[in-house]
Amino acid sequence: MVELRLPRNSTIGIGKTFPAPAGAKNVKTFRIYRWSPDDGKNPVIDIYELDLDTFGPMVLDAIIHIKNEVDPTLTFRRSCREGICGSCAMNIDGENTLACLKPIKSIEGDVRIYPLPHMPIVKDLVSNLDGAYAQLRAIQPWMKSDSAPPPDGERRQSIEERAKLDGMWECILCFCCTTSCPSYWWNGDRYLGPAVLLAAYRWIADSRDEHTGERLDELEDTFKLYACRTIMNCTQTCPKGLNPAKAIGRIKELQIERKL
Amino acid sequence: MNASVPHIETMRSQLGRARGLGAGHSGVGHWWAERTSAATLLPLSTWFVVQMFRLGGADHAEVVKWGGKPLNATMMAALIITTFYHAQVGLQVIVDDYVHGKAHVPARLLVKIGTSLLGLLGVFAVIKLVASSSSAK
Repeated sequence: MVELRLPRNSTIGIGKTFPAPAGAKNVKTFRIYRWSPDDGKNPVIDIYELDLDTFGPMVLDAIIHIKNEVDPTLTFRRSCREGICGSCAMNIDGENTLACLKPIKSIEGDVRIYPLPHMPIVKDLVSNLDGAYAQLRAIQPWMKSDSAPPPDGERRQSIEERAKLDGMWECILCFCCTTSCPSYWWNGDRYLGPAVLLAAYRWIADSRDEHTGERLDELEDTFKLYACRTIMNCTQTCPKGLNPAKAIGRIKELQIERKL
Repeated sequence: MNASVPHIETMRSQLGRARGLGAGHSGVGHWWAERTSAATLLPLSTWFVVQMFRLGGADHAEVVKWGGKPLNATMMAALIITTFYHAQVGLQVIVDDYVHGKAHVPARLLVKIGTSLLGLLGVFAVIKLVASSSSAK
């Protein structure tokens, strides 16, 4: 049945407080979720008071500052720090986004940082996305074509055909959308989630792909596709400004189109 | 056996779990039914509300006479059938969302049987109305 409260070992306590350095003028408080698999304790919120004048403008700058200068035990993923790798996806100020694209200035009051919701936690801000990655692999996100490519070059595509992929190829697979989706929280074992469905539609819409029907067959399922309830959290939260809900809607339209 | 080694219940690969039992190859019908029944209910419900206002203050005999007219009886039956069909399709979505594990199939059946019986009850009430109206003449 539906879970109305957190399991006992997931209720969050209050952890340590790291006060601002003496003489700091521009102080902001960061409240960050901490959990380690090693000590058998419940997760806690650690409180870091930071001087905003000592590091860059983004939330990622702040947590890198914490790791370098304040508390080296803080664990998170990050790589490109410019919104193209998708590593630093986390829940900031109640919304899933990329820490590197989220200006600290845009947050009123304390900055609350949690890992991506409703996924198993590896440690602190690192959530385990293995299930979502496997779902992506299951939809075979690569070109499947039976016609041989031209021997002297690439497969050709008109400008109009190529334009159909806009708004989809930009997805960096940070899974902000999938982990913001209540339907994915409820049925993530069967529902593919917005990120994977966007990737699926990216190949359905690709004029060079010849397995459109098989792809639609594989998606036609009460849960895999149709567990989407058009909640639209995916589109609201996407840090790249993409619209997974629209892609899912297009897949549903095509499912109807081929039946009527 | 070493008791300190935690028991792992699921060792199946993530890909195996993601593929699961494969696609059920159904869902389009349900999705379409949800939307078409909702669209059908719009005019039917509007008609019903207008009729109820017109019947406001009417006595029993007048209502029976109203219900005995073929057009009214047909519209009423259509409204009742569509309403409970839509309820069935919609409640299934709620069951799919919130009821997991062993309770899922019984809950699905309960929705099917419950809404079907309620719909049937409504249709028989319309039939009774028509019958009593024709015997009153």
